[in-house]
Amino acid sequence: MRVFCKNKLGLLGLGILALFAAMAGVAPLLPALDPIYHPIEGMDPRIFTASPPSWRHPLGTDAWGRDLLSQLLHGAQVALLVGIVAAATAVLIGTGVGLVAGYLGGGVDFLLMRLVDVLLILPLIPLIMLLSAFLGRGMSIWNVVLIIGLLGWPGVARVIRAQVLTLRARPFVEAARAYGAGELRIIVRHIAPGVLPLSFVYMSFGANSAVFLEAALSFIGFGDPRTMSWGMMLQWCFKTGHTFSAPYWILPPGLAISALCLAFYLIGRAMEEIIYPQLRGWPKV
Amino acid sequence: MLGFLIRRLGGAIATWFAVLTLLFFLFRLLPADPASLILDPKMTPEARDLLRRQFGLDRPLHLQYFLYLGNLLQGNFGVSFQTGRPVLETIVERLPPTLLLFTTASVLSFVLGAWCGRIIAWRRGSLLEGALVLVGLSLYTVFLPWFGMLILWIFAFQLKLFPLGGMLSPEVWIGEAGVISKALDLLHHLVLPLAVLTATMFAGSMLVMRASLLEILPEQYIMAARAKGLPERIVRDRHAARNALLPLITSFALSLAFSMGGGVLTETVFSWPGLGSEIVKAVVSQDFPMAQAAFLFLAGVVILANLIADLLYGYLDPRVR
Repeated sequence: MRVFCKNKLGLLGLGILALFAAMAGVAPLLPALDPIYHPIEGMDPRIFTASPPSWRHPLGTDAWGRDLLSQLLHGAQVALLVGIVAAATAVLIGTGVGLVAGYLGGGVDFLLMRLVDVLLILPLIPLIMLLSAFLGRGMSIWNVVLIIGLLGWPGVARVIRAQVLTLRARPFVEAARAYGAGELRIIVRHIAPGVLPLSFVYMSFGANSAVFLEAALSFIGFGDPRTMSWGMMLQWCFKTGHTFSAPYWILPPGLAISALCLAFYLIGRAMEEIIYPQLRGWPKV
Repeated sequence: MLGFLIRRLGGAIATWFAVLTLLFFLFRLLPADPASLILDPKMTPEARDLLRRQFGLDRPLHLQYFLYLGNLLQGNFGVSFQTGRPVLETIVERLPPTLLLFTTASVLSFVLGAWCGRIIAWRRGSLLEGALVLVGLSLYTVFLPWFGMLILWIFAFQLKLFPLGGMLSPEVWIGEAGVISKALDLLHHLVLPLAVLTATMFAGSMLVMRASLLEILPEQYIMAARAKGLPERIVRDRHAARNALLPLITSFALSLAFSMGGGVLTETVFSWPGLGSEIVKAVVSQDFPMAQAAFLFLAGVVILANLIADLLYGYLDPRVR
């Protein structure tokens, strides 16, 4: 923990994340105050076009007179949910596969790792687009989360497997085997704790890519039209031809996506430096 | 070396084959019936059956698969539902722009990243290092399509320095312009997407270069070089940097793969007429043969890039062979 605090970039990441968590927390307040602030259904009866910031709408409104601040706050909720759930799914599967492949070795390992190779090669965004086309346009946000989670595990599996391979050769595993611990017990009690920190690192990187992927999908029009995510805000702006005429509309969501991705990435790197101290160390000059 | 080459080549072909198979069954097993997409609901049942037979959709799945493989071997990737033209024709048109954009961007970001990484590894803890890492990482995680649109807005819409999109201006290419003005026109269109891609990618190679250099610095041959009284710059560039470049080759292939996957976004924002924007078009219009083939080629390029990186690595570092 002390090491983490020394890492300024990691702290910056945590700060940004806390800010977005706070935004997600206050998101329900605005619509409760006045229904015109509902991110999707609320429309200001006095405004019919995209309008710049005003007292009534601190960030302006979109082309239907919907409040942009409220959409931005709601987007924080969606993004955190997508990032955390999708990353948790991916890390869970990836850690499981990595443990099994690394520990068992042999044919199982070979097959699983070839599967990982193939999945890692596939261009992810086009693949998710294809899948979403099959599931029908306008799939729900949960489908998006599920697909991102189910396709995100191969990278994790590869790293975890490598770690398991080094752990398996350590004397304490041999010792456990010597006094008769079963295979399952060795995996769960002796090897898994050694790879869990790494899983947490990848949880953070996974959240970064999940937020990016959801935003990208929504942006090119394959997201959930009933959920106002940041990517969806950009898509509406793009689709209604306000890209070059409404900076108050296009700037905040893009900035938010980028900042949240940066935050997850920085936190991941800071944790990585804790696990691998040599990344932190000063070179001997 | 030959054995290594054959093994890697075999691995690459097997991977592509696996992608192909996966894709084929994905397209056939998912709920959408490919036939229902080309068939007009007003058709008579006889006409419908005829069409199904023509496309081979009435045969069992495994036969369809072998039929598909046979067709692929003959270079027949099917006919686009949209245009009725052979899919391969469109692919052949769309592949070069994608290759041009993404290989140039990868090479540029590789060079820029290696150059910056070398500098910051030598000045650990300096303000410059902090600034470069922060800027690099911010660009690395920026939401690329949004960033692209901002760049377009500033440099194309406001300042009118560069075109708003596309790859070629028709007035230059249809007219009697010389080779040089054609090349300049292409370059003019290339600048913005290339700059955006390079800016968002260079941090990857920069950080790998830094980590790789830091690993090399404690080595004895660096100390020997210093002990000889060589200037720091020579130690850095001739002795350390050359060896530190090795891991960068792998990261180069990975970044190419990653940028091609994200290429869909870049190409859409800049209306670049490549494979990525073709996939978006094909998926939106449910043109499955087109989407399938475009995807296959995109994956093929990525596999090829990985293969080249692997072989290069094996050539440069005999230990991995």
